[in-house]
This record gives sequence, C-alpha cells and structure tokens, in this order.
Amino acid sequence: MAGVTFDAATRVYPGSDTPAVADLDLQIEDGEFLVLVGPSGCGKSTSLRMLAGLEAVDDGRILVGDRDVTHVSPKDRDIAMVFQNYALYPHMSVGDNMGFALRISGVGTDEIARRVAEAAKILDLEPYLDRRPKSLSGGQRQRVAMGRAIVRRPRVFLMDEPLSNLDAKLRVQTRTEIAALQRRLGVTTVYVTHDQVEAMTMGDRVAVLKDGVLQQAGTPRELYDRPVNAFVAGFIGSPAMNLLEFGAEDGGVRFGGATVPVERSVLAAHPRLLLGVRPEDLEVGDRGLPVEVDVVEELGADAYVYGHAVLDGGPANVVARVRGRSLPAKGALLRVAPRPGSTHLFAVGDGARLG
Amino acid sequence: MNKAGSRASRYWLGGAALVVTAVVFVVPFIFILFMAIKDRKQSSLLDFSLPTSNNLISNIVEVIKSRDYMLVTAFINSTILTVASVAGMVVLGAMVAFVRQRRYSRWNRLVDLLVLSGLIIPPAVVPTIWVLQKLGIFRTLPGLILIEIAFGLSFTILLFQAFISTIPKELDEAAILDGAGPFRLFFRVIFPLLKSVVVTVIVVQSVFVFNDFVNPLYFLPGDDNATVQLTLFNFKSQFTTEWNLLFTDILLITVPMLVLFIFFNRKIVEGMTAGAVKG
Ligand SMILES: Nc1ncnc2c1ncn2[C@@H]1O[C@H](COP(=O)(O)OP(=O)(O)O)[C@@H](O)[C@H]1O
Ligand SMILES: [Mg+2]
Repeated sequence: MAGVTFDAATRVYPGSDTPAVADLDLQIEDGEFLVLVGPSGCGKSTSLRMLAGLEAVDDGRILVGDRDVTHVSPKDRDIAMVFQNYALYPHMSVGDNMGFALRISGVGTDEIARRVAEAAKILDLEPYLDRRPKSLSGGQRQRVAMGRAIVRRPRVFLMDEPLSNLDAKLRVQTRTEIAALQRRLGVTTVYVTHDQVEAMTMGDRVAVLKDGVLQQAGTPRELYDRPVNAFVAGFIGSPAMNLLEFGAEDGGVRFGGATVPVERSVLAAHPRLLLGVRPEDLEVGDRGLPVEVDVVEELGADAYVYGHAVLDGGPANVVARVRGRSLPAKGALLRVAPRPGSTHLFAVGDGARLG
Repeated sequence: MNKAGSRASRYWLGGAALVVTAVVFVVPFIFILFMAIKDRKQSSLLDFSLPTSNNLISNIVEVIKSRDYMLVTAFINSTILTVASVAGMVVLGAMVAFVRQRRYSRWNRLVDLLVLSGLIIPPAVVPTIWVLQKLGIFRTLPGLILIEIAFGLSFTILLFQAFISTIPKELDEAAILDGAGPFRLFFRVIFPLLKSVVVTVIVVQSVFVFNDFVNPLYFLPGDDNATVQLTLFNFKSQFTTEWNLLFTDILLITVPMLVLFIFFNRKIVEGMTAGAVKG
C-alpha cells in the first residue's frame, strides 16, 4: 500500500486548447479515502485516469508511494479500478472475472480460487460465482466489480462514479458498505463522484474540482465550515449556502435591519461583497432581511423555507431552515438574519474567501 | 386509411414479397433439380418441363467419375481454399478492425479510405497476376488463398469494426489494468465477444469463396488445381454440352453452401444486427 501524489499534473486533450486538468497538486495519504468531487466535465475522470495510466500526463508528475509512475504502463502501477459501467467481462463467469488479473500475473489455481472465494464471501457473492454478469442485478454487478478490484490486493483503488447506475436506495446502502470495506482493507482509495452528499459522507478528505482546477482539498468538516471560495461554498451542502451580494457600508454590510460586521481593511478594498450564510444559520426574527416565502419544504422535525428577497442588486433567492411546528405560509413575509459569527465573506469577482 | 385497410394492404405486401422470393430463388432451383433428373436427350431441349425418367443417381455417379474423379479433388481444393481464406479473413479482419477502432492515429483516415477502396474498386486482374508471378505464387493454392483474403477483407473489417464500436472501451481498460497485454486483450477479452459476427463472416464469406468462379479461373488455372466451380467446364465442350450432367454438377456444388446457409440463417441475421455488449 502507498500514498499517491499528483505533482502539477496536467492533461490537455488533443484538439483542445484548455487543459481538462490543470496543474493538479494533491497528496493522498497511505490508506486514505479521498473523494474527488465536482460538477460534470470538471476533470474528475481525467484525473483518475491519469493516475491509472489510461490517460497521458502532459505535464507534471504522478507518484505512487515514492515511485514516479508518470511514464509507467498501467499494468505495472499496481492499481485497480472500478468503472461506472462496471466493465465486467461478459463472456466470463463471476469467478473468472474476479480471478482474471491473478491468472495473468501467474498466481496458482488454488491460490486464485482461495482469494476469489474470500472476496466473494466479503461481498456476499458466493452463490453467484458461476453465473455470467448478464444474469446478475445491478447491485450484484457492482459488487463483482468491487470484487475484481479487491482480489488483486492492489496498492491503490480507483473508483469512478461506481454507484451512479444504482437506484437511490441501493446507492445509499452501498455507499456505507464501500466506505466500511475500504476502512477494513485500509487500501488507499481515490473515489470520483459528482454527488456532494456522497463525497461528504464517504471521504476522509474531499477534493473539489472545477473546470480542471483544484479548488480545495480538506476534510468534509473543513470544506463545510471554511470553504475557500464561493464555488466550494455553493457546491458543498444541501440545500446550498445562500450567497448574497451586498454593498460595503460603514462597519460591515447591512443585512436588512441587521448589520453583519466586516473588517475595515476588507471593506476598504471591496466596495461590494458576497455574503454566504448556510440555511441553518439564518434565524427568523423581527429584525433582518425581509424574505417573501415561495415554497415550504417540510422534513418533519424542521423545514426549509425557500423565498426571495430584494437586494440593491436585484432579487435574490434565500433558503432558511426553520424549526418547530408553526411554519410560515406561502406568500408570508419573514425577516431573517444570520447568527453572529456564522457568515462567510467572498470577493465578488473571483469568489475568493475574505473572512 | 383505417386499421383493417392497412392490415389488408400489409397482407398483400407480404404475399407479394413471398411470390417474388419464390420466383427469384425457388424457380431456378427447381429448374436445376429437374435438369439433374432428366436424361441427356430430354435435357438438351433446355425447357422447363417435368422429367420423363429419373436419372438422378446415374447422373451423380457419372459426374463424380468424370475426368478421373476430378470433382473429388476439386471438392478437396475448394474446401482447403475456403477454410484457409475464411480463417485468414476472420483473424486478420478482427485484428485490423480492433486496432482501427481502438487506437487513435493520424493514419486512421487513410486506413478507412483504403478499406473502402477495397470494397469499391474492382480488382485489376493483370497487375495482380504480375504481382503473384513476382512473388512466385501464381498458379498455387496459397496464392489464390491470399487473393481471396485480400478481396474479402474489406467487407470483413467493416463488419467487425461496426461491432467492436459497440463494445465499451472500459472493457479494454479494465483488462489493461488487470495486466493484459495487447494479444491477451484481443484474444481473451475482445475476440470471444465477436462470436456472432464471426459466424456471420464465416458463412457469408464461405459461400462467396466456395462459389467463386472468376478468381480461381484467373489465378489458379489448370486441371490439377481445379476448384468445384471450374468442374462445370467438364461437361461443356466446343461442340456438345451435357446439360443434365452440368446441372447435376451445379446441384452437387450448391448443396453444401445451401445447407450452411439454412443452418446458420438465424445466426447470420443476429451477427449483422448485433447490438451493444452489456457487462
Ligand atoms: N477523450 C477525450 N477527448 C477530448 N476531450 C475529452 C476527452 N475526455 C474528456 N474530455 C473533456 O475533458 C473534460 C473533463 O472530462 P472528464 O474528466 O470526463 O470530466 P468528469 O469526469 O469530471 O465529468 C471535459 O470537458 C470533457 O469534454
Ligand atoms: Mg466522469
């Protein structure tokens, strides 16, 4: 087992001017579960495929452990991958699918059988070893793909959206199973998903990509509590953080009746500011920003109120979480203000964090 | 048009199609059969009439015996020719199609052009003979095998390529990560998935090669090497033609391919229309 290092790794697809992945710097510890997350087309798969050796690295380096594998062929990297469509060999039985890599590397028949049986046991696949992939359900195929990766005992697991072909319920269940399995095996894992909930629940650390550029890497808590820019702030968390644009005023920004204090130096440099508040950090009271309620989403214990406010820049959507059983009606006017100390400040142009 | 009307018209169309098929395919076959049953005198009339006497067995015996059992040698030659050239087409065609489909290269468009040219441009006989002579394989069975492979390869490549394009690329990548080299990847992972196309290629090209008259005539002249189609000359001389024997010969050399076709009929359609491989 080994850690993984992306050292300014860059991939430019032929015929494209902009890199699909630009200067990716990322260090993944031995045994860590790292999730790469970002919207579709942001370069997650490309990063993973560079690590697997399926995609050329145009600039920079990739290391597995201390070994520079940038120009090492995929089969010599000792990496196993689980594909989104599973890519099981249709003409081989489940057992042969799992044992294929071992057979190639010259492991003895008895040893192959033993290791396949072991993996099948872990993954509840024992009754299906002689079946063809075609006759399995989606969840079972997914587990075969996992099994094919774990029998090899590779140094690194790669998974590219392995759950996106499952139905919602199975997805949630398999999510925990994969995370538990990874913890048990202790193999360094890079996991790609576009679903931030998956990222937050599964990863030891999460790396957020946008347009081929790494935005932030950190623990789920760090990402949630201290997003480095407005993109990460809006991407992580559901419902998304409220990002409202205000003009700088004396001592801070005026959030309706309430004032959110902002440092002097920041106010001096930025005439306009992006204020971020998570829905659960907005309090309903008699002071603050007037919000007209559009929709109320009841969740039982509490509810999300979706509404809109009028700022000097124009109308803006606002989401607030409200507790209790007395919920506002549609069309009602609420006043909301952020809890002190819970706000995030970002620059208007590049969205960089200001405080 | 109302529902009943459209159903009636579909009936009509179906019926018409059946009739056309019968006329185009079955009538000639019946004609061949009748001729093969007739005796020499009746057959020389060359008309579509019921045979007056049954001479099928004696005709067959005579055809087989003629020219010192030439038909037997010819069947052996044709079988070798067909098996070898179709095997060559399957292996080469699948490999070329795989590489062309999977590897990105600047030459792809040129390769496509060449493959299409092979399909479109008719072969030039004299230069081909010249090349064979230079290589020292003119008038040899291996030479003719190469010719048949060359002429059949374009179609085979296109058929394989269309199918390989439906195999998800991740399957290759999974095999590569599992440690498979290019040959193992091809023979252990890709080739087994091509089964239905392979059957199609085997049947279609076998029929083509086995029934080929022109290429053996040009590139493998001489009685020793005669293929089945060339035995048809045995019963046609400058002055007389033994029509009953000629048609018996036609009957004999048509039957193997007919059987092959009928047997694999369903598989051929399957291979032509085979869809995506699902993991
Ligand atoms: N084989 C390819 N050739 C050219 N461009 C590609 C190729 N694969 C992906 N891209 C482009 O690279 C970018 C990143 O793609 P990808 O890594 O697949 O994104 P993600 O997995 O995050 O959805 C996209 O803009 C995509 O269009
Ligand atoms: Mg992707």
